[in-house]
Parts: sequence; C-alpha cells; structure tokens
Amino acid sequence: MSDLLATLFHRSMRIAHGLLMKKELIPLRVNGRTHELAIEPSALLLDVLRQELQLTGSKRGCDDSSCGACTVLVDGGAMLSCTLLAASCEGQEVTTIEGVSEHGSLAAIQKAYGDWGGAQCGYCTPGFVMTVKSLLAENPDPTEEDVRHALSSNLCRCTGYNQMYEAIRAAIAAEQEGIAAK
Amino acid sequence: MLSQHAGNIRVLAGGTDLIPSMRQKLFEPRFVLDLRGIGELRGIYPQPDGGAEIGALTPLSAIERSSYLREHYPVLTEAAATVASPVIRNMGTIGGNICLDTRCLWYNQSLAWRKGCGFCIKKDGDLCHVAPGGSKCWAAFSGDTPPALLCLNAEIEVASANGMRRISLREFYPGDGINYRNLQSNELVTRVFLPAESAGYCGIYRKLRVRGSIDYPLAGVAVAMKRTSNGNGIGRVTEAHIALTAVNPAPVLVKSAGELLAGKNIDEALAEAVGDIAARTAKPLTTSALTPEYRREMIRVFTKRAILAAAQN
Amino acid sequence: MNNGFSIIGKRTAMVDAAEKTTGAGKYTDDISVSGMLIGKILHSPYPHARIRSIDTSRAEKLDGVIAVAIGKDAPNPFGILPVGHDEYPLALDKVRYVGDNVACVVATSEAIAEKALELIHVDYDVLPAYFDPEESMRAQADFIHENKPGNLEKDYHHIFGDPERGFSEADEIAEARFIAGEVTHAAMEPHSTLASFELDPHTGKTGRLTVWSSTQVPYYLQHKLSLVLEMPMQQIRVIKPLVGGGFGGKSEVIPLEIIAAIAARKAKAPVKITYTREEVFWAHRGRPRTIIDLKTAVKNDGRITAVKARVVQDGGAYCSYGVVTILYSGALLGALYDIPNIQYDGYRVLTNKPACGAMRGHGTVNVRFAFEVQLDELAARIAMDPAEIRKRNLLKPPCITVNGLRVQSYGLPECIEKTVKRSGWEQRKGKLLKGRGLGIACSHYVSGAANSIIRSDMPHSTVNIKIDRDGGVVVYTGASDIGQGSDTMVAQIAAETLGCSLARVRVIAADTDLTPIDLGSYSSRVTFMNGNATLRAANEVKKLIAAAAAKKMNYSPEELIFREDIVFKKGNPQPLPRKDDADEVEVTQAGASVSGHVEGQILRGSLQQKRKEEGPKEWMTFEEAVVAAIDFHGALTGTGSYAPPLEARGGKHKGGGVGPSPAYSYSAQVAEVSVDEETGEVAVHKVWAAHDCGRALNPVSVEGQIIGSVWMGMGQALTEEMVWKDGMLMNPGLLEYRSPSSIESPEIEPIIVESIDPEGPFGAKECSEGSLAATIPAIANAIYDAVGVRLHESPFTPERVLAALRAKKKEKALNLTEGVDPTSPKRFREHGGSLCFKGRGPARHALDPAHRQAPASAGGAD
Repeated sequence: MSDLLATLFHRSMRIAHGLLMKKELIPLRVNGRTHELAIEPSALLLDVLRQELQLTGSKRGCDDSSCGACTVLVDGGAMLSCTLLAASCEGQEVTTIEGVSEHGSLAAIQKAYGDWGGAQCGYCTPGFVMTVKSLLAENPDPTEEDVRHALSSNLCRCTGYNQMYEAIRAAIAAEQEGIAAK
Repeated sequence: MLSQHAGNIRVLAGGTDLIPSMRQKLFEPRFVLDLRGIGELRGIYPQPDGGAEIGALTPLSAIERSSYLREHYPVLTEAAATVASPVIRNMGTIGGNICLDTRCLWYNQSLAWRKGCGFCIKKDGDLCHVAPGGSKCWAAFSGDTPPALLCLNAEIEVASANGMRRISLREFYPGDGINYRNLQSNELVTRVFLPAESAGYCGIYRKLRVRGSIDYPLAGVAVAMKRTSNGNGIGRVTEAHIALTAVNPAPVLVKSAGELLAGKNIDEALAEAVGDIAARTAKPLTTSALTPEYRREMIRVFTKRAILAAAQN
Repeated sequence: MNNGFSIIGKRTAMVDAAEKTTGAGKYTDDISVSGMLIGKILHSPYPHARIRSIDTSRAEKLDGVIAVAIGKDAPNPFGILPVGHDEYPLALDKVRYVGDNVACVVATSEAIAEKALELIHVDYDVLPAYFDPEESMRAQADFIHENKPGNLEKDYHHIFGDPERGFSEADEIAEARFIAGEVTHAAMEPHSTLASFELDPHTGKTGRLTVWSSTQVPYYLQHKLSLVLEMPMQQIRVIKPLVGGGFGGKSEVIPLEIIAAIAARKAKAPVKITYTREEVFWAHRGRPRTIIDLKTAVKNDGRITAVKARVVQDGGAYCSYGVVTILYSGALLGALYDIPNIQYDGYRVLTNKPACGAMRGHGTVNVRFAFEVQLDELAARIAMDPAEIRKRNLLKPPCITVNGLRVQSYGLPECIEKTVKRSGWEQRKGKLLKGRGLGIACSHYVSGAANSIIRSDMPHSTVNIKIDRDGGVVVYTGASDIGQGSDTMVAQIAAETLGCSLARVRVIAADTDLTPIDLGSYSSRVTFMNGNATLRAANEVKKLIAAAAAKKMNYSPEELIFREDIVFKKGNPQPLPRKDDADEVEVTQAGASVSGHVEGQILRGSLQQKRKEEGPKEWMTFEEAVVAAIDFHGALTGTGSYAPPLEARGGKHKGGGVGPSPAYSYSAQVAEVSVDEETGEVAVHKVWAAHDCGRALNPVSVEGQIIGSVWMGMGQALTEEMVWKDGMLMNPGLLEYRSPSSIESPEIEPIIVESIDPEGPFGAKECSEGSLAATIPAIANAIYDAVGVRLHESPFTPERVLAALRAKKKEKALNLTEGVDPTSPKRFREHGGSLCFKGRGPARHALDPAHRQAPASAGGAD
C-alpha cells in the first residue's frame, strides 16, 4: 500500500508541476508515430491533436462531453479526446481518424459511410467512424441492437442515424468478403 | 502532496465529470491529480469469502461486462450499464461515479452564465434559485451506481497520507448538495468492497432519462432482494433493499422498504405500497429537466416496477 | 439505366464524402493562418440594460492581449432583412438579451482571452425586461427597440375568400389554442469565423479582407461586412469551407462573423473566433415559441370550408428573419390543401431573449402541427378516416390558391396513397394493442422563395462552367454545400447534361472571388435554382461542343447524343470504345480516361487521340469533342442563371411576396408510437414518410434528407425544447438540450414520390425541409390513436402526456405540469413547463465583481 501512495505522490508532483503553466516535453504516440511535444500538462488531448499536430479530423462539438465528435482510440478503446489530458496518454497508442485510412485507401467503413449516406455534413463523422472501429474490433459481427447501442455515444444532427446502420452493415459485409483488402 | 495542497487540488479519475466542470470554471484547481495511469487501482477481484473487491479506477464498462459481477451482484452491473454513454463508461470509473459532484441546472453552467443569474449557494454566491430563501443546497446527487452499492451494503476504502480507512458507503453521503460526501480534501477513494452476504441478490436498476443514452439520471431506483426458494423458485422475501438516486442531494436508502417487504410474497399491491414509501423518500426539486412532481411520481412507478421485475428473476 | 439517364437518379456518394470520412476536409475552425490570434466575446449578463460605460483598460494591459474591440469600433447596424437592420455586431448603447455581444478580446491564446474577459468592466443600467410575448405586446415603456412600440416587430392581417361565410356553411367547427415550444438547430459544428486583412500594395494600408466562415449565405455575409465595415464589396472575399450543418442557423449573418473582421482590423492580424456551444445557443436564430389560436371548419363530407389562425411568435430581441417567419406561417396555410377561405392574423413580437430566425421548415412547422392535429379532431367528429379527410381536400393543379400561390406539380395524392399502403394503415389503424397507435399528417414546403429578400431583378443563381483541353469540367457555383450535398447535385447535373462521367467534374463552390453570385442555402432553393442555373450553363457549353463535334462527324448538332463520355449519333447504338482501346487507355477507378502527352503533342487530348484521324468519325470521345470545340471556338465556357418566373411570384397583397415559390414539395407521413400509460413516455417505433421531391437526382441524398427531416421533427415533438427562466437559457448545451440519440431514434422509411415538376431541373424540387412539419402532428395524432389524449402543447414530454392521461382518467391530480392542461394550454410560459419553477425565483445580484472571489490564479504569480 505504501507503494501505491508513493506512486500517487510521484504522479501528482508531475501534474502539479505542469499546472504552473510551464510546458513539459511529453512523448505522445499518435497513429503509429511518436511525437515529442512541449505541452502544458493541463492541455486536453483534443487541443493537442488539433493545434500541435494539426490533426483536425477530431472535432469539438460540445463543451460538456456529450457529443462524441472528438472520439479517438486510446489503446484501442474509444475515448473522448476533449475529456482526456494529453499528458495522461503518455505510453499509450492514440489512433485518430487520420490513422484509419490504411495504405492510402479508404477503410471499408469510410467507403461505406460515403456510399450509404452515413455522412451528410460530416462534422460528426470522424467520431462515429472511431466509435464503429472500436465496436467492430471488439465484436466483428454485431447485431443491429449492438450497433444502435454503440452509436449512442455520438450525436448526429443530420442523418437520424438510419443510413449509418446500412453503412455499417455494408462495411461488415465488405470486410467479410475481403473487398477492403483489394 | 494531497495534504499539502488540500484546497487547490482536484482528483481526476476518468475525467468525465471533472473536465467539463473545469471548463465551466466550477473548479479552478492549481493542481490536478491524474490517477489514470495507476493500474493497481483497476480491476475486479473476487474474494475467497465470496465477496468482491473493485479498484476505484475500474472503468464502468468493465463492471458492466464483468460476468462475475453480473452473476453475483446484478444490480451493480445493471446500474453501471446505464451510466451516460458507452464511450463515457469506457472512461468513467466506479470511484468517480461514487464521488460524482452533485448537479443542478443553476450550478452546472459556464462562468458567464452563472454571472447572469448572480451565482448560487453551491458556488460563488449566497442564493439558492431552487429553494429561494433557503440556506441548504439541493443540488442532486446523480450517480447511477451508488444506489446499487447502497443496496449491496458496499464499503469503500479511503486513503490519505495518514493511511487507510474503510467505511460503509451508507455513511459516505451526508445529504448536503455542497458537502455531499464525507471525504477530506487530502483523501482518495481507492477501493470498493462488496460483502459476501450481499452476493446473489436479485437486482434491478431503473433509470428515468429523456434519451436512451448520454443523460444523467433524472430519477433512479435500485432494488436488491433475496427470497426463500421453494420448489418453483418463487418464495417470500427474506431481505430487500431499495435505494434512490437523482432526487436528493445524496443517494438514499428507502429505510422502511426492507421491513415492509420482508417475509412477504410480492404482489402488485405490495409493490405499489413500497413505491409510495419510496416516493415519500424522494425530495426532487427543480435541479434538472422534467418537473419535480413528475420525477417523484416516477420514483413511485419505477420502484413498483423494479420490485415486480426483481420478483420475476 | 433508369429513365434514360446515366447519372441522374443513380445512388451516388457525395463528391466530398472521402474528405468527410477521413477527417481531411477542413471546416472553418480547422483552418489556421500564420500570425493568427484568437478572439473571445464578452456577453451581457442582463436581459435588458443600457450600457453606461465600458472600461477595457485592465484587459488591454494583460500580457498576451493584442486588442479589445467594442461597439464604437464599427457602429453600423445590420440585419438579414433590409427592414430589420436592428443589430450591432457589438452593442452600442444597449444589451437586449443574456448573451448579447458587448466586447471582443483578441489575444495570443484562448486562455488569455478568457482571462481578459474577466477584466473588462461594464457599467450597466438595468431595464425592465420582457419574456412573455403577450405581456411584451402590452408594454407601455422601455421598449426593446425604441422604434417598435408595444414591442411589436410586425403584424399582418390577411383575409382571403370569405371566412365568415365559410364558417357559417360548415357542419363542424373546431377551435383551440396550440403552443409549440422553442427549438434550435444545434448543428454539430459550432459557428466559426476567421478574418484576415491584406495590405494594399498601392496604398500600403489595410486592404482586402478575406473571411472564412461557417455560413449558409456567403454573399449576404460579404454584403453585410461591406455595410458594417464600410468597405466596398469587391474588397471582401468570403470563402465557405466545409460547413458542419446549418438547418437555418447559419442562414443569416451571425454577430461573430462581423466581430471577427472588426477584431482583425483592430488587432492588425488575422483573428479566428469559434463559438462555444453555449454561444451557439445564444446566437440561436431557431424556431420561435409560437402561440396558435386556430379555428377550422368542415362539412360532413370532409371538405374544409374555412380556416382562421391567429399566430403570436416569441421572436427574441432582434428582427432576424422574423418578418419572413410570421408571413410564412400564414402563407403556407395555402398550397397544401384546397382551402377556399382563410383568415390570418400574425404577430411577431420582440422579447428579451436571443433572436429567433429561420429553422428547417421555416415558418410552417408550428402552424402545420396545429392544423394537422385539428384536422384529425374534425375527422373524428365527422367519423371520417384521417387519411380520407386529407384526400377530400386535395388541390386540382395546375392552379393558383386563394392566397396567390401557384401550384403545378402536386404529388400529395400519391404520397398519401403510398404512405397509407406501406404502413398498413387500413388493416392496422385502430386495431393495434392498447397503448399503441398510428397517426397521419401531411406537409409541404417551398422550393426556394420566388422573391428574394433583397428586392432586385438579379438572378437568384448563376453558374459558370469551364472546360479545358484536359477534358476536365470545372463548375463554378455560388451554392453553399452545408452537408445537404449541393456540390454533388451540381456535379451530377453538369455531368448528366454534358454526357460525361462524374469524375471529370470538379465543383468550385461558394467563394465570392471565384464563383458567381448565389443567394445561399436556405428556403430549400438550391437544387431548384442553382440546379437550373447549372443545367443552363451546361447546355450552353454543350451547344458549343456539339457544333464542333458535329462538323467533325458530318452530322447536324441536333443529331448528337452525349452520354458516358461518348458523343454519337442519335439512333446509332452507343459505342463501347474502351474495349478497343483497353490496352492503351488506363481507366481510373471513377471511369475517366487519362489525359496526357501523346505522339509528341502536349495536351492534344486523351490517349484515345491515338485513333487515326482519317475521314469523318462515327463517334467521338468526350475529350475528342472537347478538343475539337476548343480548336473551333477558342475558350470553352458557359454561363447559366435562374430567376423564378413572374407567374410564380405571388399575389399583390401586403406581405404577398413571402410564400410564393416556383414549386412546392409534398409529404405525407404515418407514425407508429406506443405510450406507456403509467409514465407518459412515448416511443416512436417507425415513421413512413413519402415525399414528393419532383425527381430524385440522387436517391441516397433524397432519402437522407427525408430521414433527417423526420428525425428532427421527432426531436421537436418529443425531447427538444429551449427552457428559459427570466431570460436565462437553462439548457445551453447538448447535454441538457436533448437532441435524440440513436437509442430512441426510430426506423424511418423514406418513400420517394416523383411528380416531375415542369420547371425543376430534370423535374426536381426540394427535399430537405418539407417533411419535417408533418412528423410532429403525425406523432401527436398517433398518441391520440394510442391512448386517446390530444396534446396541444409541444414537445410531448412524459409529464405532459401523463398529465393528460390522468386528467382523462380522472385519476388523482398531480401537479405534473404547473397546473397547465397540455390538452388545452392557455398561458404562455417562458420555461415551457418542462421545468417547474415555483414563484419568480430570487432577484439577481447587483453584480459586484468583488462578490466573486478572484479565481485561484492558474499559476501566474507562482
């Protein structure tokens, strides 16, 4: 137990130091690349992605952690980048929408969102794509109910969600047929 | 560190409550103690005696998915599964849900907004807009898992530089919107213990919300009960606990509900009667959407339904 | 091949889909320019106050603050309507709602700007404020705008036909008050503007201004910037990047768009301002809370004999589109059904709240809710099926309605027929389990306003097309794609008309330096008007190509067919050239052939030029034809424009300019709901929505628009409502303003009906707004079918439904809705009733800055 307290102590020192607005060098691994970034430890991951790394695909839609437009994967799990301190992702693998198009072509889910009308204004789309990615990584063959529940982390104002279900079904079918690989 | 900066530090577990609040300048701490990286406090550990220990940093999604908890403490998994949205449950922790700040429409607003209303008693002001003239803060405790934990008679471990203490969760919430939990500013909640005696209760959690996701509860009812088993699996109630959330400044146990249910067979009329008691325990005010009268009424209906549903299990 | 088209009518991914799904596309807030600073706006904490003085000196001294702009920096009023220039970008002498714009700090970071806001001292003289439109109308003093006595923005009184006679001839008359709650667009992208000045090379002083903004109306923005900044329009360039949804919320000039330019001028550096979500709610311009006193009369055969509506709109503190909104509310009583006698009294009232403006279904939605619910009641009284009573009141187009609206294509009968059939209405209506029900309703909307808000004879849309030797078609359009897919629509029309593949077409849109003027994306005008302009521009270019190609082929130009990148003679089978050239021609995924360097001749045309050029050709590739045309004519460009015909521009009565449209879309919907009788919770299971869009140019998009409209209507019907208390918006965020999540969003079955409008491009009409209005009454009528209560107040929150159910069953009365009966609401309530507030609440503090403890300095001193 004293080990635990020691860990806490060590960690709080670091963060506290940072909140004096002094920047720290923090290595952040994003989309398979490591960046050494001088950031305030109070900086939110979303702001660091958008402002420091110019990865503007992750969006800010709300200020109360309700909309999901900023969703990224942290070690494969979907998280809100507006609700995470960038410094706390040190040592973890962050994947943003920019890391989804593999080998220079659209991932099946991206292609399907375009084909089936899953994206209209597109502002919420990166967040949805990340949510779907994490869903399919865990559950490659989700039921309609699973999909509906997973999508409930993100708000969309254009589509009424219906065409997203078709897109996701199509993407799963495409993955299964191996079309995506071609 | 915590002791040294007691007034100027906030603890961040999942961040899903604290970070939006910091954005609204409800907290302007000089230090944030970010616990995210501490693996020791994450995990669900079945105990040899049949109970369970849950690290305070265990994400709500892990609780929701734990087959062990689902089997032995279903009311907790059910409650955890209703918190906010799936992504928030990936980030939010059980410890954070227990320590969740109380909520009110006049409080969870931006600094500019709060300026417009002249602030409120919970933060920066001396007025209550919800109960004008009163000096008590009625901000509602809006965590989903604590009522389930109260039903299970859970205990929590609190750590500070001075060491550890273990208290019953039932003693953790004093019922005031401002000082809503018995936790010193140099203390942390580190673990949750589910007693072996509470395992195997039928459990149901019912949550009033406008949307099927994202929303905090506008009223919530947790029911855990044990019954004698006769041949058909239907028997009299031996023990029952009912707790409410989002309708008072603390999650509250409905005290006489257990007595009323004990030793009886559940039927519509009994469930109805317990619902009435629960509704009387609820003291909702205009702290959130939907009228207080409606929320109280839903406590009645949801309690009745939860009891009947638990009896089906 | 559907209907003989190769591109029109095909399910087509949007031309910018990949930008959106990869995150590569740039929205305004994604754009940075070097030296860019951040602007933050100080908002009024009072709903109504005079500004005595503003002291910005402390803020200016803060390290990192570059400038602080206030009203005096640009003291010119503006507003979207020429009659409504009543706003200042930053308040001059008065603030009129909590959230009104007072000052703007420009700083090197957002955190510093926020800190500086705290250091601005504004001395206010607080005035009495008005929150209830009916009270506001009775005000004797302290008017919100001095030139609007009784806080009345505008009222209209129309009588068409002989309503009194209509009522006297009726067998049944229903009369009731309806109240519709206030809703807002809540587009996912918060408004953002980036403004940057150049230095003029000749004068050496501040010169041209470039503005990137999340707008539906770049040309209006250019115009208003010119007015307020006193700069010539040609010195201002407005660029619309990707826009993350509009729904009307970006269809007028929003204060931040001008503030950013003022701030950039003062700071002498580029400035970006992006609203917080709360600021988006304060900017608002949504659908006003509306009181509708409605009286409708029918004969026993179901025929409507007269309608009388008195409508009061709680418009907020500025005019915005208000005059248009209140006129639409009356005008669109016409053109759906055949109503011989109409009386309309509309009042647009000012209150001390953020301004309401245009929102999807602008003006028609709340009145349509009231009308369709009342029609359902009348059907029940004369024992007629609700679908049948709608069929009994159909128009007989082509016709001109009693209020002067010209209707040509009219797919409403087919919409009703199809939605009734698909939903199983006849077999299932009235036969569902208790607590489950079906409801039907109809609606319609304009395909663009026939008269523009700025009176002039200019075309509403103009499009230029340029084709060069590479065979690439570049379309320059002012149309503003805000997610509805207008760029794709323009590309499709151009490609179909020119007979080329979609991949050849590149759309350059909504950049005032590059693209010809278009009024913007509002009133569902883009497909009809910009689509027609595109069609005309493409036809003009096509004529040039045809003339040259015909010469080469020894045919007459009229004999040529352009299709799928081939030009061939009518009557001949379409050649399949690529098979012959398969070895040589690399075909890209999208089907375009590759241009390049052939036989030593640069830019001769495509690889297909290898074909021997001997004698007249049987057919030509599109590129060969283009090259021939350029050789023959020189530059290959075309222009098309569109203005609505005179016959479509409506009656001569006062206010008669609003409502007329070259074409109307139609919708009929059936909603299936269930109601939990113990909790009052309503679940919508499915909505069948048939929509007459003239012709579906891109069915995926049309269906997406229908679904999106129905879904947004469902939000207004059940969960969305702006809730106020003494001018404070209680739910200025997406957590408390509840736009539906995927969980409670129903399956929506879109049914496309094509009436082929005689004037629409390829027969197309609007498809993005018309469906919204029918959803709310369809759900209300379904609730009645399920549990027998008729709600006259929206949204149909569980406490309202439960209150109505308890009253009906005469159960123990609970004060669920502040004593207001949602089946017959009388009083207007600022907070709508979703929240219950006892008493008036405490008075506000005199906002002594000392009252708030200074924030723990975030480390500055340490």
